[in-house]
Amino acid sequence: MAPPGTIDRTPPPFFRQGASARSQLALCAALAVFLMVADHRMQITQPLRATLATVLLPLQHAALWPARLLDGLGQYGAGLDESVAQNAALRRQLAAQSEAITRAARLEAENAELRALSGLRPALPPATVHAEVLFEAADRYSRKVVIDRGSVAGINLASPVIHEDGLLGQVTRVYPLSAEVTLLQDQQTSVPVLNQRTRQRGVAFGDGADDSGMELRFVAANADVQPGDELVTSGLDGVYPPGLPVARVARVERQAETSFARIELAPAASADGRRHVLVLPTKPRKADTDTPMSGGAAAANSRGGRTP
Amino acid sequence: MIMPRASGQLLLPANPLFVWGSIFFALMVNLVPAGRSAWMPDVVALVVVFWNVHQPRRVGVAAAFVCGVLMDVHQGALLGQHALAYTLLGYASVVLHRRLLWFGLGGQMAHVLPLFFLAQVLSTTIRMAAGGMWPAWGVVASPLIQTLLWPVAAALLLAPQRRAHDHDENRPL
Repeated sequence: MAPPGTIDRTPPPFFRQGASARSQLALCAALAVFLMVADHRMQITQPLRATLATVLLPLQHAALWPARLLDGLGQYGAGLDESVAQNAALRRQLAAQSEAITRAARLEAENAELRALSGLRPALPPATVHAEVLFEAADRYSRKVVIDRGSVAGINLASPVIHEDGLLGQVTRVYPLSAEVTLLQDQQTSVPVLNQRTRQRGVAFGDGADDSGMELRFVAANADVQPGDELVTSGLDGVYPPGLPVARVARVERQAETSFARIELAPAASADGRRHVLVLPTKPRKADTDTPMSGGAAAANSRGGRTP
Repeated sequence: MIMPRASGQLLLPANPLFVWGSIFFALMVNLVPAGRSAWMPDVVALVVVFWNVHQPRRVGVAAAFVCGVLMDVHQGALLGQHALAYTLLGYASVVLHRRLLWFGLGGQMAHVLPLFFLAQVLSTTIRMAAGGMWPAWGVVASPLIQTLLWPVAAALLLAPQRRAHDHDENRPL
């Protein structure tokens, strides 16, 4: 309280300019650094992220519209021939799959019978969620796509994401109405794989490069790996179900100075131009959770898939 | 009041609705999914710097910060990465705003190019330290393109202030 008779200390409204640029800088820079630490080290920013992501979602959908329009125009221009060819290809695929489906049904029945015979629990089919890819994240330092289903649709953190060509990636951030999928090509993704030809196990890592994308590390230089070998998920980590196509060996380089071979992989599934994906559940469902596998699954979770 | 030489003409007062609308439009442009090409210019950074130079009392450092957080969430990037870069860009442009307007467009571009470049270096350094991947060398082109867009931004964003205040039939705008 100023003593009476002194001059007024508050500036007249003409000079009121709010906080100075320097104090704003200090405050905002400190906040930004705090956000980074909170996001990267403490991982406590998920509620803030989820809120802002949900607020941004309508805008993102609106921004999608011009891209979709261009896409639609391009497809319209490509015309009838392509759609006829596509239709024929899809029919061929359907025919091929129908054979596989009938065989699968027969195998499933047989499997159920065998399981009953050997006294095992019945295996439940996984509950999958169909999702649509909204866009590829513009972040230059990671490889991610954003899909249009989130925790409301029952998507969990670390769920594998596939489409018809094979494994695409893993859900690494879940918002209420959308989710971020980190692709296999991302540097922080690793998948335990099985070489279909030699039945040899290994771990495939993303290397972030745009051309190749993945690498099979820690394979001895004299190991039997040839270009063209198909790699599928081995299911050892309990995150990815076994048998999903992951990649094909593109190039094998054996150098004298290292004891490991340098093996470049071409991912089986690419996110380019893909609209529809399938999100698989993270864990085996109730009937399987108390089998001895689930303990190993939790332990392997941190190694096999990145959990943010 | 001393009028900066380069502006050459007295401008009408800026319409706050237009200022905030242009920032919103820039955000929408950044939200358009155009792939993850490394050279893609950051329109929000450009517009934020532009308004911090021309209207530093309306669009401040705090607005730049908020835009940065929104971009972080949209890209799924490290939270605070764009926020810090935009904050520093905003502050640098507030500091430069008296000086910058004395130059022509070429001089202004020579001033903003190092700003954009340093902001890019800063966010790349932060992301690499936080375990991100090395982006393609095309990232170097992004500040360059932003700088080349500066005259476009100047023409578009100042256009409403360049209208005649007493428009008549001969000067409809």
